[in-house]
Amino acid sequence: MNRDPLTAKEFWLLSTLGFATLFGVWSAVALSGFVPSQFLPTPWGVVERMVELTAKPFAGYTIQQHLVSSVGRYLLGFGLAAAIGVPLGLLMGWFRWLDDVVSPLFEAVRFIAPIAWVPFAALWFGTGIGGPTLIIFMGAFPPALINAYRGAKFVEPRFIEAAQTLGASNWRIIVEVLLPASVPSIVAGLRISAGLGWQSLVGAELIVASSGIGYLMVKGQASISTSTVMAGMIAIGSVGIIIDVLLRRMEATINRRRGR
Amino acid sequence: MAARRRFGRTQIAVATVLGTFALWYVLTATGVISAARFASPREVWAALTQISVQGYADAKLWQHILQSCKLVLMGFLAAIAVGVPLGLAMGWSKRAEAYINPIFLLLRPIPPLAWIPLAIVWLGLGDAAKVMVIFVAAFVPSVINTYTGVRALEPYLVEAAAMLGAKRWTFIREVLVPGAAPHIFTGLRLSLQASWTTLVAGELVGALHGLGQVLNAASQDIFPAMILVGMIFVGVCGGAMTWLLGAIEKRSMPWRTS
Amino acid sequence: MSEIVFEGVRRVFTRDGKDFLTLDGIDLTIREREFVAIVGPSGCGKTTCLRMVAGLEFPSEGTVKVGGKLVTAPGPERAVVFQQFALFPWKTVWENIDFGLKCKGVPVAKRGEPIRRFIELMSLQGYESAFPHQLSGGMQQRVAIARAYALDPAVLLMDEPFGALDAQTRTVMQEELVRLARKNPRSVLFITHAVEEAVYLADRVVVMTRRPGQIREIIDVASVRRAEDWDRLEHIEEVMDQASFVHLRTRIWRLLREQQQPGEH
Repeated sequence: MNRDPLTAKEFWLLSTLGFATLFGVWSAVALSGFVPSQFLPTPWGVVERMVELTAKPFAGYTIQQHLVSSVGRYLLGFGLAAAIGVPLGLLMGWFRWLDDVVSPLFEAVRFIAPIAWVPFAALWFGTGIGGPTLIIFMGAFPPALINAYRGAKFVEPRFIEAAQTLGASNWRIIVEVLLPASVPSIVAGLRISAGLGWQSLVGAELIVASSGIGYLMVKGQASISTSTVMAGMIAIGSVGIIIDVLLRRMEATINRRRGR
Repeated sequence: MAARRRFGRTQIAVATVLGTFALWYVLTATGVISAARFASPREVWAALTQISVQGYADAKLWQHILQSCKLVLMGFLAAIAVGVPLGLAMGWSKRAEAYINPIFLLLRPIPPLAWIPLAIVWLGLGDAAKVMVIFVAAFVPSVINTYTGVRALEPYLVEAAAMLGAKRWTFIREVLVPGAAPHIFTGLRLSLQASWTTLVAGELVGALHGLGQVLNAASQDIFPAMILVGMIFVGVCGGAMTWLLGAIEKRSMPWRTS
Repeated sequence: MSEIVFEGVRRVFTRDGKDFLTLDGIDLTIREREFVAIVGPSGCGKTTCLRMVAGLEFPSEGTVKVGGKLVTAPGPERAVVFQQFALFPWKTVWENIDFGLKCKGVPVAKRGEPIRRFIELMSLQGYESAFPHQLSGGMQQRVAIARAYALDPAVLLMDEPFGALDAQTRTVMQEELVRLARKNPRSVLFITHAVEEAVYLADRVVVMTRRPGQIREIIDVASVRRAEDWDRLEHIEEVMDQASFVHLRTRIWRLLREQQQPGEH
């Protein structure tokens, strides 16, 4: 039974060993010539390529320009998903009839992976901004809606009762009781939504875009430039981390102010 | 009183679905939604018949479904076969966690779909590339959730097991795994969802058969009705597998109340 | 064989780089088949004492020995009944009681009899196939006690076992425990902060000081019980009504009140 805590020294040693194993094996295989360098660049080869891409355009733009494109679409899709999903979810949690009407439709569409919307995205928007935005929206919308819904629906009844006995109107209850009480759930939902949205963006840009990180990677793949593909993966991962960290911070601040 | 409420809800649900259907029919029949951008119910039905009987994109519907399901299962099962034990090890041994975590920290932020171009470079446009990406997609949630499940095991249960004299394998088999089971199943569910999304994406990028390929071909042929057929079956198959997993989950954990 | 000996036990607990002394020199001997209760204010280290006998924690200084042997790990000869019951939710009542016997290596054929006996003893008939979540708190604790007794342990360690139960269930369980302890005597270490419970159940009551915990006084209850013949009384409320009981209880309360700081409730 091994539940003893690790000393700080052991932790750092093992973690470093873990990293070393990963990069060591990677570098060894890359350098051995067993696999052509086109297919497996060395770790530093990837870094070099990444730096190169900041100066030299590939597939039309530099890597930072691609990133800006991607992030722009992402914010649009995520913003729409949040702007529609959160209020709708709250209202569905409050008005039973709305829940009854929307839920069946939502449940039916929910199982369709967001990426399956790509053909229609292509059909309706070509390679313009609308295409990826639609996919991002389809990915980010469900968690935003569901968590807002749950937040509203499972608000402690005594808060509502207290407000009602104090004579609050329906509208006032929604704005001044339901909404604040649902905030933790909404924020948690937005964090998940942000993550899923970013993932959906990648998928969309692989197929229906003419710029963006996903597009960069597809073009890299077509020219068998693995270092480009990997540079793209790193860029995507990094932005993903930033988004997640930012939202976790926000969530923690909000929860802290409410004394959780 | 509750029964009446439930009856009312089903009625509304049915009414909504029928209403949407009717709306769809009217909008497409009157041309408010043009045929180039969407399909009418009748066209969808025709497309469905076509793909089931004659076939589309070089195969019949059931063959496409079989292909897609086959790849999902291969990737998914491989991923959980490696991921769950790894999660158990990482959850239990702080040493294992310290050693393996760095790799996770690097891999986790990369969305599964971002592996597609790399998989294609390494393995081409065939099944192998898709299974690879499905594996990666399904691997991470199963490890993380299993790990969480082990960590969530109440300390007093671990102490009770030690007090009762459970040796290592008995402990793993009769305490650790059942204790972590609820979280493990959550991980499996997330892994399965990720597997389907990744599969469809992979097949959209390039494949010979499969539901994603149907979507791709229909997209290129500008055949909205067939796109809808593809999408419907992506939803149906994904939903069916999720339901099946849920049934397995319920049967494996008879002690769960919810 | 089942004598518990604390010798010069000190326990230092480190958190955030700071050291907290929780136990400061405990010397205590629990004789064979003696029922000893430890009472004391919160944080005095009484649970820590139990956990050291169980082998779940270890002294920073001094030794804890059971039957002459140093305690190095948990084991079935020192069975523990936890406050949170600690039944495995995925196992039925039968399987929970069976688990310890299984780990001991008792062959399947020989396991049924002791399990049945304790199920009967703890009034759990009919619930063999139930899962813990289907049972009330009192019943769950009965299963936990059955599980412990089924191991036929030399030492029984009970860590506020009735703390999570409501008042009525608690008194029923106290009566049952007394009956059980009389029928199956063994060394028992019982932790509680309910003074009445301690006086009702125990042969001796150890009163501890607040942190850092030391033994303030050890009260001999058994001699009073024998002299006043409490055992002739059937019900717990009758025992607790005895003047001799009340005296002991008040004496212990006074000792505990000394421990309170001015300004505390």
